[in-house]
Amino acid sequence: MKAYFLLHVTLLNRRIKDAGIDPRIGWLLLVSGFILFSFLLFDRTRLAPFIYTAIALGLLVPLTEKRRTDFLRTCFNDPVFRQVRMAENGLVALPFFIFLVFKQQYVIALALLALAAILALFNFRSLPVPAMPTPFSKKPFEFTIGFRNAFYLLGGIYILTAVAVSVNNPNLGIFSLLALFAIILGFYLKPENEYYVWIYSLTPTEFLLEKIKTAWLFSAMIVAADLVALLIFFPEKTGLLILFTIIGFALLTSMILAKYADYPGEIGLLNGIILAFCLAFPPLLLIAIPYFYNRATGSLNRILK
Amino acid sequence: MIQVTGLSKNYGDKQALKNINLRLERGRVYGIAGENGAGKTTLFRCIAGLETCEGEIRADKDPLKNHLGLLPTEPYFFSRITGIEYIRLLCNARQKQEADIESRNIFELPLKRYASTYSTGMKKKLALMAILLQDNDYFILDEPFNGVDIQSNIVITELILSLKQRNKIVVVSSHIFSTLHDTCDEIHLLHEGMIQRSVQKDGFGALEAEMKEASVGKKIDQLFKD
Repeated sequence: MKAYFLLHVTLLNRRIKDAGIDPRIGWLLLVSGFILFSFLLFDRTRLAPFIYTAIALGLLVPLTEKRRTDFLRTCFNDPVFRQVRMAENGLVALPFFIFLVFKQQYVIALALLALAAILALFNFRSLPVPAMPTPFSKKPFEFTIGFRNAFYLLGGIYILTAVAVSVNNPNLGIFSLLALFAIILGFYLKPENEYYVWIYSLTPTEFLLEKIKTAWLFSAMIVAADLVALLIFFPEKTGLLILFTIIGFALLTSMILAKYADYPGEIGLLNGIILAFCLAFPPLLLIAIPYFYNRATGSLNRILK
Repeated sequence: MIQVTGLSKNYGDKQALKNINLRLERGRVYGIAGENGAGKTTLFRCIAGLETCEGEIRADKDPLKNHLGLLPTEPYFFSRITGIEYIRLLCNARQKQEADIESRNIFELPLKRYASTYSTGMKKKLALMAILLQDNDYFILDEPFNGVDIQSNIVITELILSLKQRNKIVVVSSHIFSTLHDTCDEIHLLHEGMIQRSVQKDGFGALEAEMKEASVGKKIDQLFKD
């Protein structure tokens, strides 16, 4: 198990190096960036604990990816596999937990730890489910796969919205809306095999617009029910709800562009940091979106010329 | 027509392809033969535009990649996408209407099942079916017969011949000589990144005997020293 985590440190160092940064400086940037982001977030909004938890969940969910966990199962026996998954989720949740405790958000901090533990234990993706019908099959890819992967999480968030309405807690409602966006952003975290970009008979700009158009349409389908319910039951929060929805769509746009900015590689450290700053301070999206767009068209030019 | 002129590809110090020149005409099937590592897949990726390379690749339909159906050696499938969704994705990407996929399911694939759960042969057939439904003008089939059952092998052979009749350009690689013999009009032998020789249909028999001699020689006797 120790060797597995040491290997991950090596891999992370390698990725930092690939981004042209000395690993020691990279780690320093990561830690200081995280602390700065946390302070900024908590300084700006009362919803920070919820947004914070949603971000942590956004990082934890990809770790449950089926092929990944299947691979781990082939490497470790069952008890060690569970320990590894627990340790992984614990390590990811730890910085968020520490800051939440520092901010005296004890209940949310404990809830985050509990969720991290549940996600490590509850292998809901490996259930032998038949192909699940989705409303996104006409344009299959990110949303078809993402919806199927995150089906239970999405269901849980809709339930959370119902709870928010029933206990008359608009903040919880807003959290559920943000959590939906966090999950959708997760659909765009990993770059696809280049064959799936190459097949398009579109220019890079047309390709990106097509991706954004589809993402907006399908996100609207996922978010609509939640948003409408919140608008009906918390009309006093209309402005805030609309604002967060607009930010959600803008973040989604930047996420798609950022995904292809470093394509065919994964989102690089620098672009990851820019995205994190956009989360903390959404007006930055006005600069980040054109920046990512330029990078993305440059990266896609080779394949979609 | 596809015209490849002076195509070379380097990976660092290693030259994977050296000055490849090919003229591929419509209504003909071309075989690319060569041992593992000879550069077949690299050549295909260069023609498809998946690799940057030196030289020139021109086609009568421009850009070539938008009219090319590429069947990779090992098609990649996402874990939660069904067969029918995979076909739809490929058709959408080329703005083609995927009319009546079920009735065109000549391989009788379980299209409503996740493609990642298919066997190797089924995956190959699904990927092949998808590029056929894209209605391409050019086809590059990298090992289309790998892992496929005998019945489907026959179907694939007939499909290639049918594409030829429909005036398409088909380029096939295969490690099974008989499949090239049955489908191709011309075979290009690739060796260490170079076209060593090109053989027309009437020379296939001699080419096979020559390849057999070169690759087997006395190796079997060497193994069983009895």
